[in-house]
Amino acid sequence: MTTEATMWPYLTPHQTRDHEPTPYELKLARTLEEIFTHDGHELADVVGGLNARQVRTPSGEPWTEETFRTEMHRLGA
Amino acid sequence: MPLSVSDTADHVYAHGLRNQWHPVVPSHFVAPGGLRKLTALGENWLLFRKADGTLSMLADRCPHRGAPLSLGKHLGDRVACWYHGVEVDGSGTVTSVPGLPGCNLEGKTLVTSLPVREVGGAILAYFGDDEHPEPADLTLPEPLTDPAVSAFLCYAEWDVPWRYAMENLLDPMHGAFLHHESHTMYDGDTQAKFRIRETERGYFFEKTDQRGVNFDWVELCRTGVDWVDLSIPYPPSAGPGGPFGIVGMACPVDAERTGVFFWRYRRVDDWQRDTWRFLYKTLIEERHWQVLEQDRVMLEAMPADADQYENLYQHDLGVVRLRRLYQGQAAQQSKAAPQS
Ligand code: FES
Ligand SMILES: [Fe+2]
Repeated sequence: MTTEATMWPYLTPHQTRDHEPTPYELKLARTLEEIFTHDGHELADVVGGLNARQVRTPSGEPWTEETFRTEMHRLGA
Repeated sequence: MPLSVSDTADHVYAHGLRNQWHPVVPSHFVAPGGLRKLTALGENWLLFRKADGTLSMLADRCPHRGAPLSLGKHLGDRVACWYHGVEVDGSGTVTSVPGLPGCNLEGKTLVTSLPVREVGGAILAYFGDDEHPEPADLTLPEPLTDPAVSAFLCYAEWDVPWRYAMENLLDPMHGAFLHHESHTMYDGDTQAKFRIRETERGYFFEKTDQRGVNFDWVELCRTGVDWVDLSIPYPPSAGPGGPFGIVGMACPVDAERTGVFFWRYRRVDDWQRDTWRFLYKTLIEERHWQVLEQDRVMLEAMPADADQYENLYQHDLGVVRLRRLYQGQAAQQSKAAPQS
């Protein structure tokens, strides 16, 4: 392998993503921000807030604390 | 060629202090089995990584006639110069002179190699001068080693002298003005009294009359590598976990350019950690980037002689202290006759 092209300056806004967020991920993230702003910071606030806003899990179910934890772990690890 | 003590103090101040560690580039800039050329402290270097991940940093200068080794070929455990094929391993030792087998260059360590460490996704290297080749003790920033902290590295390259990048960090007051239009620093008083508080490893520069509202304090830490620690509150939209911290470092590339390293970190665990990381990658990272761009635009627009014609006031004490420290150290590191 030879030297990579050395491009100056390196100015890359996104350095932590491994993929472009899907529409589902964007909607989930924006809804979470709204819940944190208006409803609270507890896990119960989050789950209640998502369900009250009719935002469903990828399989179409209402959220539970367990499914939310698992999904965040998948998306945020 | 190691860094020379015969460089003038002005040269050292302009190109970066020696006998300490500096970050150079993110780890992923040099893949396993890869080579990467870079400039740091005004010199050209080559990062060389073996397939197993082992990393070396060599002066980018062939011991034969000085051609850049970075134009050469990666041979797995050594690099072959493109010009006449001389082979050098990761320790800087000539392993083979193909044009003249048995040549007395073989077996000699003729290329400077710098000690390297990797932390939080970045490569740190020790830049000793020719009187201080042994690496200085290095204590890594605890936010980057504490498992209770979750950090993301942001790296960017600015056309700015390294000292301006550092001075910007020792100037918390710019937060309330330059970053007033931002997601994190819109709040807080635009007037403040500051004080300097000495610590074992550096000093705090902090507001005496406001904390936890804007960019209100910064600690300069000199622990073998120079870094700053600071904290900025997140708005409620960022969820639980409190403020985010920044560990900041700068790589003096040359007299006009700097690589900046910002680790954004938060003390979070469990679902709060995962949620913050998800929001960071999806939405927050981009907003942080916009704030950083405000710094870059301002600093790149500063005139080259900005620090020659100033009228400083109380908010600039942190910067004044930093300059005195760095200029004093540059003078110490130079054995060149002082210029008149
Ligand atoms: S200059 Fe590198 S082999 Fe001759
Ligand atoms: Fe800033």
